[in-house]
This record gives sequence, structure tokens and C-alpha cells, in this order.
Amino acid sequence: MIVTTSPATISPAPRRAASATAIAGLVIAALVAIALPAFTTGYVIYIANLLLVFVVLCLGLHIVIGETGQFSMAHAAFYGIGIYASALANRAVDLPYPFAMLFGALVAGAVGLFIGALALRMRDIYLALATFAFGEAMQWVFANWDSVTNGPNGLRISPARFGSLEILSDKQAYPFVVLFCVLMIGLTILISRSRLGRAFRAVRESEVAAMAMGIDVRRTRVIAFGLSAAIAGFAGGMFGLFQTFIHPDSLGFQTTILVLTMVVVGGLGSIVGAVGGAIVFGLISEVLRQAPQYQEIIYGGILILFMMYAPRGLFAFIGDRIKEVRRGQ
Amino acid sequence: MASEPFLDVQGLTIRFGGLTAVGGFDMAVAKGSIHALIGPNGAGKSTTFNCISRFYTPSEGRILFDGQDITRLPARAMAGLGVARSFQNLELFSELSVFENVLIGAHVHAGRSWRDAISARPAEIGEHVEHLLERTGLADYAQTKARNLDFGHQKMVEIARALAMRPKLLLLDEPAAGLRNREIAALDRLLCELRERDGLTIVLVEHVMQLVMSISDRITVLSFGTKIAEGTAAEVRAHPAVIEAYLGRETTHA
Repeated sequence: MIVTTSPATISPAPRRAASATAIAGLVIAALVAIALPAFTTGYVIYIANLLLVFVVLCLGLHIVIGETGQFSMAHAAFYGIGIYASALANRAVDLPYPFAMLFGALVAGAVGLFIGALALRMRDIYLALATFAFGEAMQWVFANWDSVTNGPNGLRISPARFGSLEILSDKQAYPFVVLFCVLMIGLTILISRSRLGRAFRAVRESEVAAMAMGIDVRRTRVIAFGLSAAIAGFAGGMFGLFQTFIHPDSLGFQTTILVLTMVVVGGLGSIVGAVGGAIVFGLISEVLRQAPQYQEIIYGGILILFMMYAPRGLFAFIGDRIKEVRRGQ
Repeated sequence: MASEPFLDVQGLTIRFGGLTAVGGFDMAVAKGSIHALIGPNGAGKSTTFNCISRFYTPSEGRILFDGQDITRLPARAMAGLGVARSFQNLELFSELSVFENVLIGAHVHAGRSWRDAISARPAEIGEHVEHLLERTGLADYAQTKARNLDFGHQKMVEIARALAMRPKLLLLDEPAAGLRNREIAALDRLLCELRERDGLTIVLVEHVMQLVMSISDRITVLSFGTKIAEGTAAEVRAHPAVIEAYLGRETTHA
């Protein structure tokens, strides 16, 4: 017998079909992920590593925007804090790299809690502007705090170590990147399904009703910001697994917009959307690297098209089309 | 009523700027009773209701629940004390399923253990939610998004969600507004059953007299922010001040 933890009171058949499809998809994805290094060049592996980092970054943004319904334009900053903090920790202490990653996540999370508490009074466009300002300020800090970040010259990231194993190539890093990405997807699903995740969504849907249910709305919003920033910081630590260099230029507004676009195009409010959006849009932006002069125009165009024709995101759009076809038959 | 009231509103006064919305209002609700608060539009019923549920803070007066002074407690503390409320203009979690809406109602009970806190469906609470869905006629819609329900069912989700808090006192803000006759009859049955079988104390603000007169043990009538009458359905219906407030004063002498 299959034991499901989901409420199975109503129409279990389509749910089972959906979860079967999801499991099949995951298995295929896992096989592709495992088999990838055997067939491809280092460059493709590098792109795959970067994509998976962006998947985790999107998961972080998903917690705050998708689950809790609060705007954040500061995720490139939290990501950057994670990169610098874990790189510096890795350099300073001779411990396996995951400790440095955790340190990066903790520092980013602590800053996130602080920003979340400051942002409590703000909503919507004001929140977006305030977090945008914080993001810009952080980029300035990265570029000017010479003694710590090495300022505009960028920081060399020393190789990640797991005991005696030193990671010197993208291919070596890849299995770890996959592992951490899967762990973060699992963690996000766990949070989303838990009591805390329900409180996030309750706050998103109606703050007054949430309050009447005994949910501390302010605390919930701050926790969402902290968790979201910690996951983004962890993504920064993953970046350090395979990258040897970080420059403040790559931690600006463009990165924030890219992540935001991934989450919106994938589908706001769903984990599948956040993960899928990161992969699809990450691939698109990689293809567009051939024609950088058109990149921004095409991003903008895609975003507008999605807002107009598929506001619930790519995956909801595909799901609806499949349903239509089935109904038609 | 010799015993101490379950909910005791004493000298409640609420001012907005210079305007006194409610002035010196008293109301004592007996345990296990259905107590209706009625009055013409703008009488201050909802304002009073929002004070009791702690969404507004009164300018003067005290509110005692089960002997405890709750006048200054935050709204989010009410669920834990056993005071649940519904919303007049629907405050559902629209994008979430009916099941999840009601499950969030049990938020204060869902964190008893780590297992419960990380579970998508804490065992005992999940069963209770399903039981509530049965009782409120929502079992067939458990996985439907709340926003896709018709108005009558949405109002029921409000009540089911409030019941998931396992309240001792249930505050309902116009639960029958906009319902069809058949739905009002079902609501009537449900509320009476909650009083008889579960011993729940219910305070409702309501305009639908058919419901109020049928189920209320006691009715308090507000007009222009002051209490003008209180008593059983029959007493209130015959009260001259109530007739005047609802129908206006006769200008010609009889």
C-alpha cells in the first residue's frame, strides 16, 4: 500500500497521476544530472553548476515573494553576502567547506532578519524600493570595503576542501552542487508544507484573518525574510564550490532582476515554478550570451509576454494546456 | 442569571476622533448561550464586535472573558484563549484549498510537537478538520480553492475555519448576510447544534431577523451607539424603542 501524507479525501486518482508524473520527472532529471559529466565538456558542467546555484537562489526568493507575498529586490545582496562570508570563512578556518557555507547562510540570514524587521512597516512598492536601496547599498559595500572584500579588484576564492579532497574543477564540484541543490529543494518543500509554511501563506492571503487564527503576522514576516536570505546566502556558498573569483559587478540590480524574472516566469507561489523558472530562464540567458546586445530586450519581451498571456507562470500555463487537450479528447 | 457572565462587556466606549461610535455599552453573555447583537445600519454593532475580538481597542470600558480582562490583549492572542471570529466581508485565504483554510484555523493547536509542526497534515488535527468539513457541508470541496466556491460555501468556510480553533466563544459577524433561504436554514441548524451538543457560546451580529429570532437566547439592540433594549426574542420584538429604531416614530397621534 502506498501511504501518502497529503489529505486524500477527494479524488485521489488525479493526485496520484500528478505525483506519478512528478516522480517520473524527478527520476529523469536525476539521471540526466548524474550522467551529465560523462558526456559533456567542462563548460557545460560550469553552466549546470551555475544554473543549480540559481535554482537555490530562486528557492530563497520564493519563500519571501511566493509564499509570504512580500516583495524583495535585495536578493543579489543576500547572495553576495553568502559568497563573501563563506569565501572568507573558508580562507580563515581549516574546516570542511560545508561549515563555510553554513556560516555564509547564517550571516546572510542574520542580515535578512534585520532587514525584515526594518521593513515591517512597509508594503508593496515601498517595500520594493526599500529593499532595492539596501541591495544597491550592499553592492557599494562589496565594492568599497577594501580590507574585507578587496573592493573593486574582486576577491579570489580559495578552493573548497572536504577533508583531504580539494575541489579544483567544475566537474569535481558538480556532484556537491547537485547534492546541495537537492537538499535545499527538500528543505524548501518541508518548510512550505509545515505549520510555518502555512503561516507564510496565511499572511500572504489575509493578514487580518491570519491574526485572528493566532498567527503573529510581524514575526512571521521577519522569519520569512530571514529564511529567504539564509537560503540565498547558502546559494552564495554553493557558488564558491566551483568559482575562483567574485567581483561586486555581478552582484547588482541585474542579478536581482534576473532571479525575480525566473521566479515570475516559472510561476509565482509554486516551488516547481521557482525551480523550473530558474532552469528554463537560465538556459535562455545562456543562449542569449551569443547576442548580448539583444539580451535585455529579449528578457523584457519574455517578461511582458508572460504577464499578458501566462500570469501564473510557465508551468501553470503548460498544465492548463494539457488539461484543455485532455478535455477536448 | 446568577452565575458570572462568560463574556462581560462593561461601559464600552469607542471614539473615532470626535465621533462617539459606541457610548457606555454593557453586555453580559451567559455561558452556552446564543446572544445576538442587532440594530440598524451604523448603530455600532460591528465596531463593538471588533472591540470584543480585539481588532479595535476601546477608548473606555472593560471586556472580561471567562473572568479574564482581555481589554488590552492583542488580536492574535484571542485564538489561544479560545475566542474565534468570522469576518463580515470574507477574509478567506482565497488561493488556498478549503482544507488548508480550515487547517490554518487550527494553527494554535498545530505546534504541540515537532512532528506536528513540520507535518502537512498533523494526524489528530487533520481528522478534526475533516470532521468539521463534514459538519459544515464542505467535505466535497476539501481540495477546491476557496476563491472558486460560491458565496454560501465561502461563508461556511469562514465558520469552519473559526471552529478549527476549538473555541469556547464563537464571534460571528453577519454569518447569514447574502445567504439563500436554504443556506440560512442550514446555518440555523448548525449554530443550534453547536450550542446544544458542543456547549459553545456564540455571539453574533446579524441583520437577518429570521435567523436571529429563531436561534437567540438573548438579543441586545444597539441604536446610535447605545443599548436601547435587551431580552428574549419576544421581548425585543415587542419593545417600543426597538420598533421605533427600526421603523421610525409615528408622526401622527393615534
